[in-house]
Amino acid sequence: MFNKLILYFSLFYLTLGLNFSHSQVDYLVGHDIQKGEELFKANCTSCHKLGDEKKARLIGPGLNVEIFEEYTEQWLIDWIRNSSALIESGDEQAIAIFEEYNQSVMTAFPTFSDDDIKDILAYIENPPVEEVAIVEEESKEIIETKSISNTTLLLVALTLLSILGFLIFIKNFIKKASNIEETFFQGFKKLVLSNLALVIIIVHVFVLALVVIGWQSLSKIGITQNYKPAQPIEFSHKVHAGEQGIDCNYCHSSARKGKHSNIPSANVCMNCHANIVEGPKHGTKEIAKIYKAVGYDVDSRSYIEGYEQQPIKWVRIHNLPNHAYFNHSQHVVAGNIECQECHGAIEEMDVVYQQEKLTMGWCINCHRDSKIDLDNPYYHEYDEWVEKHKKADLSVEDIGGLECGKCHY
Amino acid sequence: MKEGKKYFKSPYIKGDEKYLHNEFSEQLPLDHFVSNQDEKSNNTSRRDFLKFLGFSTAAAVLSSCEAPVVKSVPYLNQPEEIIPGVANYYASSYFIENNFANILVKTREGRPISVSSNKDFDKKTNLDGGLNSRGYASVLSLYDSNRIKNPLKNNNKIAWKNLDSEIKKELNVISKKGKKIVFLSSTIISPSLKELLNSFKNKYNNTEFVFFDTISKSSFLESNKKCFGESFIPTYNFDKAKTIVSFEADFLGNWLDSGHGRKYSQLRDPGKNMSRHYQFESLLSLTGSNADKRVPVNSSEQLNYLLYIFSKISSSDKFLEIKNLNHKSILDNICKELLANKGKSLVISGSSDVNQQVIVNAINYLLDNYAKTINYNNKSNLYSSINSDFENLINDIKNNDVGAIIINDLNIAYYHPSITELLNQVSLKVIMSDSHNETTALMDYVCPKSHYLESWGDANPYSSVYCIQQPTINPLFDSRQVEQNLLNWMGSNISYYDFLKSFYKSLGYKKSWNKILHDGFCSIDYTKNNLIFSSETAIDILNNFNLSDTSSDDLYLTLYSKTSMGDGYQSNNPWLQELPDPISKVTWDNYLTISPIHAKKLGLKNWHVANGGLNGDLVNLKFNDFIIKVPVYIQPGQKENVLGLSFGYGRENSGKVASGVGVNAYNFYQKFNLVHKNNFSIEKIVGEEHEFACTQNSHTMMGRSIVKETTLEEYLVNPKAGNKDFKLESYKGKVSPNELNLYEEWKPKVHFWNMSIDLNKCNGCGACVIACHAENNVPVVGKEEVRKNRDMHWLRIDRYYSSDMNKDLADEQGLGAIEMYRLMEEPASSENLEVVFQPVMCQHCNQAPCENVCPVAATTHSNEGLNQMTYNRCIGTRYCMNNCPYKVRRFNWFNYKDNDDFDYNMNDDLGKMVLNPDVTVRARGVMEKCSMCIQNIQKSKLDAKKEKRKIKDGEVHIACESACDTGAIVFGDALDQKSKISKEKKHPRTYALLEELNTQPSVFYKTKVRNKIS
Repeated sequence: MFNKLILYFSLFYLTLGLNFSHSQVDYLVGHDIQKGEELFKANCTSCHKLGDEKKARLIGPGLNVEIFEEYTEQWLIDWIRNSSALIESGDEQAIAIFEEYNQSVMTAFPTFSDDDIKDILAYIENPPVEEVAIVEEESKEIIETKSISNTTLLLVALTLLSILGFLIFIKNFIKKASNIEETFFQGFKKLVLSNLALVIIIVHVFVLALVVIGWQSLSKIGITQNYKPAQPIEFSHKVHAGEQGIDCNYCHSSARKGKHSNIPSANVCMNCHANIVEGPKHGTKEIAKIYKAVGYDVDSRSYIEGYEQQPIKWVRIHNLPNHAYFNHSQHVVAGNIECQECHGAIEEMDVVYQQEKLTMGWCINCHRDSKIDLDNPYYHEYDEWVEKHKKADLSVEDIGGLECGKCHY
Repeated sequence: MKEGKKYFKSPYIKGDEKYLHNEFSEQLPLDHFVSNQDEKSNNTSRRDFLKFLGFSTAAAVLSSCEAPVVKSVPYLNQPEEIIPGVANYYASSYFIENNFANILVKTREGRPISVSSNKDFDKKTNLDGGLNSRGYASVLSLYDSNRIKNPLKNNNKIAWKNLDSEIKKELNVISKKGKKIVFLSSTIISPSLKELLNSFKNKYNNTEFVFFDTISKSSFLESNKKCFGESFIPTYNFDKAKTIVSFEADFLGNWLDSGHGRKYSQLRDPGKNMSRHYQFESLLSLTGSNADKRVPVNSSEQLNYLLYIFSKISSSDKFLEIKNLNHKSILDNICKELLANKGKSLVISGSSDVNQQVIVNAINYLLDNYAKTINYNNKSNLYSSINSDFENLINDIKNNDVGAIIINDLNIAYYHPSITELLNQVSLKVIMSDSHNETTALMDYVCPKSHYLESWGDANPYSSVYCIQQPTINPLFDSRQVEQNLLNWMGSNISYYDFLKSFYKSLGYKKSWNKILHDGFCSIDYTKNNLIFSSETAIDILNNFNLSDTSSDDLYLTLYSKTSMGDGYQSNNPWLQELPDPISKVTWDNYLTISPIHAKKLGLKNWHVANGGLNGDLVNLKFNDFIIKVPVYIQPGQKENVLGLSFGYGRENSGKVASGVGVNAYNFYQKFNLVHKNNFSIEKIVGEEHEFACTQNSHTMMGRSIVKETTLEEYLVNPKAGNKDFKLESYKGKVSPNELNLYEEWKPKVHFWNMSIDLNKCNGCGACVIACHAENNVPVVGKEEVRKNRDMHWLRIDRYYSSDMNKDLADEQGLGAIEMYRLMEEPASSENLEVVFQPVMCQHCNQAPCENVCPVAATTHSNEGLNQMTYNRCIGTRYCMNNCPYKVRRFNWFNYKDNDDFDYNMNDDLGKMVLNPDVTVRARGVMEKCSMCIQNIQKSKLDAKKEKRKIKDGEVHIACESACDTGAIVFGDALDQKSKISKEKKHPRTYALLEELNTQPSVFYKTKVRNKIS
């Protein structure tokens, strides 16, 4: 029976381990296509996407193999290099497109060589295999708001194992003891007395384990590190802040001005998404949620009049207790610290989670270590003090950053 | 020990045998907290108690394991000017209860959380407008749950559209019938509303406007009409008056303007230019308490004194020989001073008697005060009601001439109770009111009126200034402002906002619309015609004056209004109900004030009971056929045989806070007379007692120098007069307490936040207390808790009476210590009584007794000299409270939010909107106290850091300091050698409270200097 149990446990751990390992797939791509991809991403993605002409429409049409059926290669090269010239020359196909897209002119690329354009076309002809399946799997994982951590599982398993071992140990002894004509308790007593040292050790280990587990779990109350809630819109910071390189302040503008770092209002989203209707991961699905909130009609590219707007209810990830006063501008402007120092590598997160503990100890440690910008004329009042105490620099602690009243009032 | 030996508790202690051997005569009310109150058998055994305890602990632990999901909902279209977490300020105007102020409204995320006076207005115009405690509290009235939420017809909901068409139809019918349409309102100072009313009259020809000011100033208007041929109220320049003689005019409390105190205090700095202020009054008013010489006299005598002064000044001899004229030497002295300060003096009266006001005018005319201390060109428009107009209206209603009455936010059934029955005779009764009250219940149509913080408007409070009122929040309910109603009822389609904008343009003032919205006001030209004083009228009146016969047995009833409650417009405001009256220190009540001698004669008593609460006898006050039961409060300093009763209480059906508190004094305000003589009687009710909620139970300083005081004469010789440094006897000889210090000396680093309070300028008005409430989320605890001394005011204003006994006198008379202290407890006799005020908040001691005793270090000292209280660390031992010599720490005995037992603003979502999001709402079981508005200090520091500059002097404002109109409170960084506060700190008048304890406070006081007659 014991062996069986061990087998179960090992199986359990194996599956657990498998769950957490990641698999990666590499794509085989040709040389031309790779260059084409680079050029496409650098020059075309602001207006075009790969895919069906209508479905993947951004500002310009979606691009896929179909274009080669409709247009000749030379025509495409001319069009890409300078579409206006082609239209002026009276080319019928060119004029037709010009009219279809509300007479908006495509940017000219006179610097492209024929080879460059051919590379791009090759890329369009052989688009990369879509990652859709994997993305969906990942996003499902995200929706679990609280997953039990590995360490907790390990602890539970260890405790169970030790209890099991202890029980087997007792069982064997009782087996032995039952041969003698004694009552159960007499036998047990004898057993304990004869193995006193062992029993004491076991009890100590057991109690100690309980205390450690208890202490650890108690100290986690109210700490929501790694909190990764599902959001109403599956917004990816990785795409916006990482790949597109949008500055944090573009959306979170009030972090420099006030106490709160705001969640951008939908009109800020619409600055870009009035035109960008489809994202690389979720297609139109998630972006459409913004349109639903503000009342925007994608087809006519206009706001619906008299639409009853619906606010977007985001889930707040970084929560401080009400009795703690925190001011973003204090840290970002006066303290010159980067967003990432508290929020982690946001630009790499598809789904944002709370990377740091946000406990008081965590705050205090940073206040002990962080240095003050002595070039700021406000701190010139400390010059005398710095000289007197022969300090090279000032930490936040030196200016009272550990005092209760700095954050609690 | 001999049985029954009593120790001193307070002057009114009554030996209560019940408590002598049995301290807890009743069971502790544990059941109340732990049992289910629905069940009748609510005995909770100890086991049950432990079960509750166990379960609740387990529940608390379990619930804290799961973090709640917090939603964050951003704007869809963020307004450009709103940055979350950053306050916006808007200039606006306040006009309630005939008090005007140009204000700044502080809003956070689009909701107003506090108002303060617009300092630019004060500086640039030098007018009397100012914000008093009621003004500061008015922001809470915006979030009053008693506000009317939608239009009503006979108490049923009706849509605005239907209401408009029905009213229009009825007005047309009444208009055709030829009956009067009466628009009843208190004074209107809005030029655009006046314009609208004129168009309304053009539309409905029989419209008549009747103005009714709750506490009428008709006597001023009528007397000026007689003297100058024009009915107006001038503005007063207290800042130019070296001698001020006031007869019952409570100009620091409620007289004509709420801002007289600011100008008055400009000449109250001790020095050669300090003004001298005489006050003749029957009750003890806030103004009387601040006077250099206060004389208690009843109203008949006041008239005689005025006549005597007039005769002396005009060198006529008609009234020089008045029988039984007391205080002749003081009066002679006053006359001498007045004549010496011609054009630099001011004689004023608060009387509702026109003739008395004419005499006052004549005296001022003779003293050449017009156009100097009294500005009759720059007129005040704050009061316009003439008593006879309202009396005519009553007659019209009686004669059935009135077909419709439209009431503009005037609770007439409360202010004039006898009108209630008459109103039934009017066929169309419409009221525009912001909350449910006595009158709304009687009306056919109730139009919810938007609060002033939700409305557009303009104001012309004084001839020289035009002000704008702008909304700072969208209307919370389905309400409309009065102007919009009038526009709609005239059949116009335009919004009042558009009307106001075009109206402003038509006025042709220099400032653009945007500029005036930003500034809140603009100065305008006004006609300066020299009015001519017709001496004939005055002489005529004086010649025909018959001195009424007075006897010492005459009984007077004087009606007054408290600074905290005013006329009662805001009586459903819990901040104001809990603001102690500046003199009696009683909250949540009005009462009949009576002089100690008079009370003794009638056998009326006040006494303290075992829990420290004050109890008092009740009397039946009979007036004509009307009888009310009212408690008596024994008021030292009051003139004998004069009784006082304040307005503003006795509300019915007016919300959960106001209803049932006190009695309605308007029942006695008949014929607009503030003083009644002999036409009423009082009778003690035996066997009943009233429970007061009083915040201060000891009245004198018992010979200690808590408030240091001196006279101007002594001060001019020695600036340190009255401010002797305290020295301790030691082996080194006499030393200052600091030299015997056991502790290491504390030193500030780069900032040292200090506060100075000038006791000469503080007049005890209480505006700072309310400003502190608004800034720091101070909870309201209710009458029962205040009675148990559990009030939560972070800032209190102590009031001390002088005593006739002192140590020197006792030595002289050879009195023993016991007898001396017994006599010291007694406030001085009415004639000699002097009053001092002292605001006390946390003194932020730099050797703080509280910090040493906290077992969990929840109260600590900052490197900037602040004594910090960390609520989340506090476990509620209350050691600190016990060890604080200033008694400024407040303990949260209960949760005051979301608790039905404390059903005030913090118990509903609406009322919570006033809370300042930068300050924690404290929970049960923690200590709290003044933080020196640390949130504002931190904000200013951060602003400086962000802008990369040093902090400027005068940049940091704290609530009480900016609320103080008189400039008594100065706040700043004492390490900045150029700052105002570091100069104050070195001033010879500066002293620390209880300096013998060497607590080294960051707050210090400046000696009170009275300009006494030598």
